[in-house]
Amino acid sequence: MRPTVEEQLLGTCRILDTLVSPCVTDPYARTLLEGLIGNLRMLTSALPAVPGFLRSDNRATVELLGKLRADVAPELAASIALALEQPEPDTADMRALDQRNVELRGLFSQALCDSGLTAAMRAAALVHMGARAAAAPMRYVSTTTRPTTAPAKAS
Amino acid sequence: MDGQVFTRQADTVKGGTSTASERVVAGLQAMIMDAIPTAHQFAFTGVERYAGGLSRENWSIDATWVDTAGAQSRHLMLMRDASGTLLDTDRKREFAVLKALEATSVPAPKAYWMDDDGHWLGTPSLVMDRMPGRCEYLVLNGALPLDARLKLGRGFTELMANIHAVDWRARGLDTVLDVPTDSPSRVELAHWDAEYRRVQLEPHPELDYVLAWLGLNAPKAQAIVLVHGDFKPGNALIEGEHISAKLDWETAHLGDPLEDLGWVTNSVRKREHQIAGVWEREQIVATYTALTGRSVNEAALRWWNVFSCWKLAIIQLTAVSEFVAGRYDRVFQTPSWLYRPMFQMMESPA
Repeated sequence: MRPTVEEQLLGTCRILDTLVSPCVTDPYARTLLEGLIGNLRMLTSALPAVPGFLRSDNRATVELLGKLRADVAPELAASIALALEQPEPDTADMRALDQRNVELRGLFSQALCDSGLTAAMRAAALVHMGARAAAAPMRYVSTTTRPTTAPAKAS
Repeated sequence: MDGQVFTRQADTVKGGTSTASERVVAGLQAMIMDAIPTAHQFAFTGVERYAGGLSRENWSIDATWVDTAGAQSRHLMLMRDASGTLLDTDRKREFAVLKALEATSVPAPKAYWMDDDGHWLGTPSLVMDRMPGRCEYLVLNGALPLDARLKLGRGFTELMANIHAVDWRARGLDTVLDVPTDSPSRVELAHWDAEYRRVQLEPHPELDYVLAWLGLNAPKAQAIVLVHGDFKPGNALIEGEHISAKLDWETAHLGDPLEDLGWVTNSVRKREHQIAGVWEREQIVATYTALTGRSVNEAALRWWNVFSCWKLAIIQLTAVSEFVAGRYDRVFQTPSWLYRPMFQMMESPA
């Protein structure tokens, strides 16, 4: 399908950059616009990676929950077992992949806070969380303004 | 809007289909007239909303008027709550802190007027002096010579020590700021935990894991001091090679002195607070200790290092939540970039 999503996003950035941005003189609006264009550029490269990221994270979380459930309270272990019995969603259905990710991460969160977790399981969980953070495809695009002679503000 | 001149008569101050800057000017004039009933012949110039500011609108306005004391001229900053905000803070408390600081050695803007319920300006607002100087959040790693940057680094630590030395009881701040009845670390954690639950849109096992660690390891405070709460070069003005003003007192509160120190010594924002090889955690802590006479417990400081990152993560989740709700105009992401540094700090030996 042409234009592809990527082509459309990049084209939008080009038009905003070259035609719209020069007409925006208000400093606040201009900063916002620059941030929005930067975010669209980030999405252009991140969007194709999101389904793969979710599939991979779901697989890794399922595997980890399978190990953790032996250490956690029986009620939570039962919930985990139930979730692990569910079939994985259609790999092309991003919404279903995202819902599955939310379900699995909710259970992972509960398991992490379970006092019965062994040190080895905690270590495995840390590795999993670190790897996920490194692989997350969407990144914050800074909208911090350039140094100014005026008392600009930030938090 | 830059350089726009507004001259108004009292009866045309409010209403109509005006621009944002006109509405701000109208509200400001009405607020001044309420505070100084004899004021007249107003003129407002250089009205501009600054691009910085993630939690409030910041307006620069030059105002002149005539009252019984004669012709008046003020260079003003007007801080107005935005419809969507990252920090739910109270203008009354901020106004009280600024007033209390006027009699201290801490350089802060003189506060003039407050619209605590948005009666004049639509949302709660503060009006204060516009102080001289430039704002440069990476000044410690900017273009200045190393000597000047080192001097500034030390200056920031001296400023922090001066803030922590404010006699908050003598300045009456115990009547407007909450005096912690429990350990400040637990008070802050409870506050930000509630904020986390309020803005959370999806599970965050990483933040829950860090939260559990923070709950298990919360330290006791050596002292209760006035804490700035967002101490960084980006919240200061610099004139030449010295700090002319500390800004952004909206998060100031009474708490543990290690809270501010924990922010400037954590690994995540080294570029803002540290100079590689010469002004790092070790030098900052040593200087702070020498200035205050307060020894710094490494495990407690590490707790505040982790807490400051976790709190930043919650603030970013607030931005995500506000953006999704259509109340905030900048796009933030889940702060996954903070997770690994927090894990590393938690795992590091005390």
